[in-house]
Amino acid sequence: MRTLVLLSDARHPVSGRPHLSRLETQAIGLAASLDPAARGLHAGSGEDAVRAGLGHGLAGLDVIETTGEADPLPALVGFLADALGGADAPELILAGRRGEGGFETGLVPYLVAERLGLPIVADAVAIRAGEMPGTLVVDQAMAKGARRRVTVRLPAVVTVHPLSPLPRPFAYGPMRRGRIRRHSPAAEQADLPAVAKMAGHGTVAGRAEDTGGTTVGPVDVVPADERPHRARPKLMRTSGTAAGGANLHVGPDPTEAARLILDYLEANGIRRYGKAPE
Amino acid sequence: MSRQRRDPRAERGIRTVESRARPRLDVARRESPAASGRLRRDPWREWAASLVDETYRKRYDRSQRQMSREDAARFLAARSDIEATAISPGQPALHVVEEPAFLIFAVIEATGGRLSRFDRQVFGAARLLADADAGGGAVVAITTGEIDGLGEAGADRMLALPSANGGQARAAALRHAVETLLPRHVIFAEDGDSADLARRLSVALGDDLMSGVEHLTARQAVRPIRNGAREIGLAPPRLMTIGEDRVKPYAAAPCEARPIDASDFEAGADPAILSSEIIPGDPASLALSETDFVVSAGNGVSDIAAFRELAAAMKGTPGASRVVCDAGLMPRSAQVGASGTVLAADCYFALGISGAPQHLQGIAGCEHVIAVNTDLHAAMIERAGLAIVQDAQLVMPALLALLRERGA
Ligand SMILES: Cc1cc2nc3c(=O)[nH]c(=O)nc-3n(C[C@H](O)[C@H](O)[C@H](O)COP(=O)(O)OP(=O)(O)OC[C@H]3O[C@@H](n4cnc5c(N)ncnc54)[C@H](O)[C@@H]3O)c2cc1C
Repeated sequence: MRTLVLLSDARHPVSGRPHLSRLETQAIGLAASLDPAARGLHAGSGEDAVRAGLGHGLAGLDVIETTGEADPLPALVGFLADALGGADAPELILAGRRGEGGFETGLVPYLVAERLGLPIVADAVAIRAGEMPGTLVVDQAMAKGARRRVTVRLPAVVTVHPLSPLPRPFAYGPMRRGRIRRHSPAAEQADLPAVAKMAGHGTVAGRAEDTGGTTVGPVDVVPADERPHRARPKLMRTSGTAAGGANLHVGPDPTEAARLILDYLEANGIRRYGKAPE
Repeated sequence: MSRQRRDPRAERGIRTVESRARPRLDVARRESPAASGRLRRDPWREWAASLVDETYRKRYDRSQRQMSREDAARFLAARSDIEATAISPGQPALHVVEEPAFLIFAVIEATGGRLSRFDRQVFGAARLLADADAGGGAVVAITTGEIDGLGEAGADRMLALPSANGGQARAAALRHAVETLLPRHVIFAEDGDSADLARRLSVALGDDLMSGVEHLTARQAVRPIRNGAREIGLAPPRLMTIGEDRVKPYAAAPCEARPIDASDFEAGADPAILSSEIIPGDPASLALSETDFVVSAGNGVSDIAAFRELAAAMKGTPGASRVVCDAGLMPRSAQVGASGTVLAADCYFALGISGAPQHLQGIAGCEHVIAVNTDLHAAMIERAGLAIVQDAQLVMPALLALLRERGA
């Protein structure tokens, strides 16, 4: 299954230097397990950080050289629309849940999916090819350890959850060997198909920043609104129910105690054990 | 400037209470509100109203929470002489918005038909925006089915959208609802399916999304950007997701959660999703921080084999106190508490655990706690919602036998 991983222009949380985001490393791990020839796609000004992806298992990298000011979305959509129409069309497009170091809205994968008319599945922890050709089985992480197994028709966009397996360890040789293809955004956009041309219009421009340049923001963000972050304490986690003196049982018969416990669990909807005898 | 003349005799007359023996005065009684315009508190009534339990010694609940409707009903049954509203005078027992000036959508997940803490916080955020300034807004709970306690959580209206397969179909139904009912704000939790739905809706409407709001008032919503180094504050936009533990849940008078007719909002199917099934987590292999029910053993449990069997039979994740882990009876990964795992579970079942502060820290977020302990004065017994003073070695086999009997 031909797989492509979207790599963002992530910044390290402490040093602020460009780096490969952890979530995208995990995405690369999932991609490499499905497709030994998986490629990465990055739109941005520098490729130093995303090169590390080659060392984690990508076979090649496509870099669209946009200036730091530009919105990466039209470039991404233009490139992908071309690729999807071409011979070696990617079937699966993987992305992280949200960028790091930019505006961090997590909208880019959704915008890409919408512009290209592809389905999107969020929060994948495991991916494998479906039984029918052209399908994909995705395990989505849900609360309390549950998983949702979704079968989706390819091509599709899938975002990766932090609980997905760790990627292959970094190796220097593959990073050196990996091929990087550079594209210029102007050439990509000159022969855009209709779907992708739409992406350049209206509110979308400047709203996407997953692969985000640090200067482009959502339309509603005026630079004046940006200010140093102030840490605000989270709410304390205290129990909602008052401790119940009424619910104290001193020295009950063990069978009675067991019944009380199971009834309490069932009354509060924690667990249901078979059916209670009438 | 003239002051009104008081007539002490007439005042006495008003306050005299009928009684057989000798004339009695009800000093607290007032016909008109106090001159300051503030309602006058009646400490005696408040104490009487907050009396919870008289079995062993008097216990008062002075947390001044507004009672839920169930509590109020129980209260009225127990003490017919005091009204439930006496605890917080002047507040109505039910918050009703007849003609809403605007609507606020609160999109909630309520996995398993129960509201989670996060769901309540979403309602808290919605209520905050609905009651700001002149108020008059109504909070509409967007659910996928019948859920208890929506009114107490703060929902004026309830819109049960038909359940759909796949996020795309759900987003389409929600978009339809947004376009017909025109809410002023739509609020989501920045978590799981809600976060997914918020982004789909944002893309479908072509409207900006403010994600992971950390601080919310009626004037502005603030969210961190650039790895939490900077932040942006804006007037609350139409679409918002709020971060966990950022907005207080609603705690005042219950609302009515009146259902809205949802028959026009039908969910189509998403053609790209071929099938979808939910695989519940296996509690035995889940990490403690991820599970929803922990069965935990302390120093009071001597039969660890029976305990393990019990945890498996109750479909709970096994946990332990530090003493048990130090003794090597349970793995270190099972330790609950300050130096172990801090739980996010809904329910904690403690067998033979004394409830040391370091241990209680780990279960601070658990809503329901069950304790079995031989010591009536153990801190865990005090913390528990169901406390049983009994030998754990006797309760465990009894529980196993009962579970077998119920066919679990
Ligand atoms: C820095 C520091 C960090 C710590 N961090 C942690 C931590 O993360 N997690 C943690 O758990 N502890 C921690 N501790 C240890 C903690 O202070 C307590 O020592 C420990 O929690 C006590 O464990 P316990 O309740 O199982 O044992 P005990 O205190 O011995 O309590 C046993 C309880 O079982 C009851 N009991 C006895 N026999 C029976 C019976 N047959 N049936 C029913 N009940 C019975 C007793 O009445 C008693 O209440 C920490 C301590 C320090 C100093």
